Amino acid sequence: MGKHLCCTEKGINLEQHLQCVVLGIIPWINPPSSIVSAIKSGKSESELLVACRILSSAANLASPALFDSILKPSGSIWTLLSSLITEVILASTEPRDEEETWTDEALEILLDVWSHILQPTDLSKRVPLPQYGVDAAAEIFRTFVHTELKAASASAEEDEDESEQVQAAIAARDERLGAISLIARASSRESISLLASLLSERCSFICQLKEGNSCPPSILEELHWLLIMSGNVIADPGEGETPMVPDAILTQFPASMDVTSHPVVLLSCSAIMLAQNSRDPFFQREILSPRLMEAIVWFFARWTDTYLLSSNVGHGPYSTPSGAESNHQLSILPESGKNPVVFAFSEHGDGISALKCLVQLGGTALTLWPGEKALLELTCFKLFAALSRRRNVCSHLVANEAWQHFAKAFAYLEQTLLLLPSSIQRGLAEVLCRSANGFSSADDANQFLKDLLSPLTMKIVEISQMKELSAAAQKPDAILMVTNLVERLRGAARATMPRTQKVMFEIGVAVMEPLLVFLECYRNQSFVVYVLLKFIVDWVDGQVAFLEAKETAIVFSFSVRLLQTYSAHNVGKISVSMSRTLQNETQAEKYKDLRSLLQLLTNLSSKDLIDFAAEDSSEAENPDVAQVIYLGLHIIIPLITVDLLKYPKLCRQYFTLLAHMLEVYPEKIARLSKESFGQVMGALHFGLRHQDIEVVNMSLTALNAIAFYHYQAMCKAQEGLGQHALEYYDNDGIRHEGVLAQFLRSLLQHLLFDNYSNELVEPAGDALLPLILCNTSLYERLALELLEGQHNPVLQSRLAAAFHTLITGNKVTSSLDRANRRRFRENLHNFLAEVRGFLCMR
Amino acid sequence: MSDSEHHFEAKADAGASKTYPQQAGTIRKNGHIVIKNRPCKVVEVSTSKTGKHGHAKCHFVAIDIFNGKKLEDIVPSSHNCDVPEVTRTEYQLIDISEDGFVSLLTANGDTKDDLRLPTDEALVSQLKDGFAEGKDLMVTVLSAMGEEQISAIKTL
Repeated sequence: MGKHLCCTEKGINLEQHLQCVVLGIIPWINPPSSIVSAIKSGKSESELLVACRILSSAANLASPALFDSILKPSGSIWTLLSSLITEVILASTEPRDEEETWTDEALEILLDVWSHILQPTDLSKRVPLPQYGVDAAAEIFRTFVHTELKAASASAEEDEDESEQVQAAIAARDERLGAISLIARASSRESISLLASLLSERCSFICQLKEGNSCPPSILEELHWLLIMSGNVIADPGEGETPMVPDAILTQFPASMDVTSHPVVLLSCSAIMLAQNSRDPFFQREILSPRLMEAIVWFFARWTDTYLLSSNVGHGPYSTPSGAESNHQLSILPESGKNPVVFAFSEHGDGISALKCLVQLGGTALTLWPGEKALLELTCFKLFAALSRRRNVCSHLVANEAWQHFAKAFAYLEQTLLLLPSSIQRGLAEVLCRSANGFSSADDANQFLKDLLSPLTMKIVEISQMKELSAAAQKPDAILMVTNLVERLRGAARATMPRTQKVMFEIGVAVMEPLLVFLECYRNQSFVVYVLLKFIVDWVDGQVAFLEAKETAIVFSFSVRLLQTYSAHNVGKISVSMSRTLQNETQAEKYKDLRSLLQLLTNLSSKDLIDFAAEDSSEAENPDVAQVIYLGLHIIIPLITVDLLKYPKLCRQYFTLLAHMLEVYPEKIARLSKESFGQVMGALHFGLRHQDIEVVNMSLTALNAIAFYHYQAMCKAQEGLGQHALEYYDNDGIRHEGVLAQFLRSLLQHLLFDNYSNELVEPAGDALLPLILCNTSLYERLALELLEGQHNPVLQSRLAAAFHTLITGNKVTSSLDRANRRRFRENLHNFLAEVRGFLCMR
Repeated sequence: MSDSEHHFEAKADAGASKTYPQQAGTIRKNGHIVIKNRPCKVVEVSTSKTGKHGHAKCHFVAIDIFNGKKLEDIVPSSHNCDVPEVTRTEYQLIDISEDGFVSLLTANGDTKDDLRLPTDEALVSQLKDGFAEGKDLMVTVLSAMGEEQISAIKTL
């Protein structure tokens, strides 16, 4: 290594340095086969790993052009990387101890090298991989595929524990496959052809199995693996955007290629054949397994966004930096629409029949095996979600017979669908409602929704009006039914679009009374209550932006009744249980309910009614947002116990709402009853002492808002906080300070004597200034009290001076304008620095 | 198209609390289930398979709602389990007897005297104090599969 060290020379640049370093570590990885076998014989793997990391860093920092040239002219970095990775992959298949993970680590790092080259952070530096680089990539992928396929086959009989978080596990898996997918794409012609032929062999095999022949699980597992790998290679995940066909795939196949021989198309057709076979009863009974079905569904969920009925037209594959490279690519690509892979499943290709196949696939997956939760989730939240994501696909969806049939079955509360788990009910309702986007006419869309949801709505109303409801309703099957019906409504609410908003509004109104009846009847069934609340929150969320004055009033009054009903059942209720676990669960349930109620209030508070014009000029008709929210808070606050405020999310949500209300509507707070006002102030006191800085910050902001409001009012000789700000005498003749006076005392005490984060000094300063201005005589008295407690004359005079400077120094006046506040904040910093030192010492 | 085959039974059967069959795959966390003939609340559900290409089985971990014991069961997802009918009824507290029983006022004006006080001492003293002060107290009674127990207390 010594002879390659040239870094001590002056004037060396990054590129040269990198070249030096990489050349230096080559002996640690070359030749790969001997290095790896040495490690297998007991040599330490640390040199190899260090070398790999250096390669990875170099790949990250060097331009691809430089990286390519590193080993030239005598060798190629690509060949080296390829044989190294191949050796590592092969080594990983040999039986070894639990402890030995060097192959995993090495592989991960080496795949990173490729990722850095193939997807540099600066896209403009990307260069097409030279042919030998493509070959190297193909070699790596080939080895990887064969190794993994073999491992899959061998593992087929193993038991499997599924995680509860199906979707999270899948996301993690796909991320792991990301790096190898890039390598496959870099060598698309060979790699995708490989996948296509392996898949095709196995699909043909199992689709031809006849009565009396069983299918070995090893083949099913290989198919599973191939589908997952293929889906990762040919398509990117779709949520949040519409992924295009990966660049590498578009550019590596000639645009003039025959559709029927394009590997991506061949691969897709094999998968479609599997999907079609999944409808065959024999296939379902003898061959198909839930796991294989999951793979098929997952594959098509991924595939749909990119390849099904693609409306990609116009520009070439690169959307970012231009440059000679992309222009070059543009010139060899005619309109993308004619690209075989885009054309194959477009409207003019086989797109519509593919869509039909997928709808039927989904239907089968939902109904074939009750209880396969992972499969149900994938079908509902991935496949159907993908099918209902894009408008142009939706237009074909709603024209599709199978989808219409599905919608009818759903609408008429068909048994098999109604018994699916509640989250699936919600998901299916959402995708069905979303598919209404496919209707070009708003009337058609609305009619579709009405048809879909009317029987459901009527059923809810019907149940709620039954005599003897209470008794019948507590049976488990009744609970299940009500829960599932409401979950459907919730799914529908979440799919509310502007042009279907009115229909959803009417449905919501139609079920208002029934839901209140259910809230009463099911007050002791916590899950039902939770589902009811969640629906209402989602419904309000989808509606609130569109409501006129009268409609808003309806929603407000319903919300208040809801809150009152919930509160009546729950306030002051203490649960008892023999089991600590169950006690904790009950607490968690309360927490979730309260989050929902706070969310409801927050959603309502976003309704800004200032611009309700003179049409309805009577006050009575114009609903008062602030009043409703404060009323809501008044109802909720007693439910929020100190224990519940220990949940950080709930605490923050609560204080965010409180701070918002006090900032935006301080005049309303003055009109609250003594009791309500006291509650809100109690909450503020609590918040000011909280350990979560965010919460303290929000409390200080809120305090600032009301003090500011009161001071402004005082200056204009208005009431401000009125009664609340005044001192009073209680029944026992004891004097109580006004609320702002209390806060002044408490805040000053806190700033002088307690420990707190420095970040809070500024917001505290903002709250302190108006508090002092409202209570100057109290401020002076407090200062005097402290002075009297200070026996050292030097310190005493320093203290006195400090108090004086705080409110007069630095040209601070009694104004609350920005500049003055800034000056006061500076003063506060200095004040605290000056006095805390000696005040806090005892 | 057929209407739902479900209809709520309009009249409740007097007396016997029942169990109802429900598919294992639809029973979720915090739902109820019968295990070893005891009514339980599910605190954990996980699935597993025999062989990757087998069918899912649900593994339930549940707590007996009356005695707090932990029970477990593994059931194929497509099979039915029994779900207990769990009801909670509110009664007004009329009296607390010396020997640890409570006297409750039922909806039709009778008294119900067969329930014991809960075992939590802090709660019991809170209850006794509240009662002595003349507060109105509502007691929620949890009932399932023929067994009953006080599950919540509420001041009106």
